[in-house]
Amino acid sequence: MRFMAIVPAGGGSEEGKLPPPELFAAMGRFNGAMAKAGVLMSAEGLAPSARGARIRYEGGTTTVRDGPFTESKELIAGFWILQVKSKDEAVAWLRQAPFGGGVEVELREIQEMDDLPPEIRKAVGR
Amino acid sequence: MRFMMLVIPKGYEKAGAGFAPPVELVARMAKFNESLTKAGVLLALDGLHPPAVSQRVVFGGGRPKVVDGPFAEAREVIGGYWMIQVKSREEALEWARRAPMLDGDQIEVRQVQEMSDFPPEVQQAARGGS
Repeated sequence: MRFMAIVPAGGGSEEGKLPPPELFAAMGRFNGAMAKAGVLMSAEGLAPSARGARIRYEGGTTTVRDGPFTESKELIAGFWILQVKSKDEAVAWLRQAPFGGGVEVELREIQEMDDLPPEIRKAVGR
Repeated sequence: MRFMMLVIPKGYEKAGAGFAPPVELVARMAKFNESLTKAGVLLALDGLHPPAVSQRVVFGGGRPKVVDGPFAEAREVIGGYWMIQVKSREEALEWARRAPMLDGDQIEVRQVQEMSDFPPEVQQAARGGS
């Protein structure tokens, strides 16, 4: 099963600040350990929301709004995708991430085709 | 350049464990995905299970705590994403506009940071070098 571990914005990520070198290095080691164990499928950081946009869908039309989205409490800064045998294994890896100070990483299971009802699999041609 | 199109479905923060999207929407989504593939821009896509069956790992002093969802204070929840490779932000926005969403849904378009955007010493640290 696959999990997406979502890292919230914070620590200057929205201001485009780089993390301190020691945190960058700790993150490199953490990523290296997950890669070596064969659980890391991807790890990405996102540019600040100031360089992004939001599209809203309503009544058949779309409205585009440029970032930053300062009002949002749920902005993300990056994510990992892990391939593991259980939720507990994903949690065990995440506990080793080099964070502190109240950071909350959200762990969401990725929907695999097999999780979906047959009529949905049919709709996507699987 | 790579962009994430993060899907924020209206009300997904309240979705139950057995949530499944309407079949008709899934069929339109499959067509949209096919157009992304045909254009050669699609790198990855996934749907995420609702927060009701998710966890948060909270880092503080000592051993990180694990909290089970749903998360009462959550207002905007990611339901899935596409990662696309395009030539400009405008191209990314154009694709996002064409996505078959429901009323009140949102897509947040965010550029993905490439290693080459960082200074050399940061790149080296990220690779685990000293």
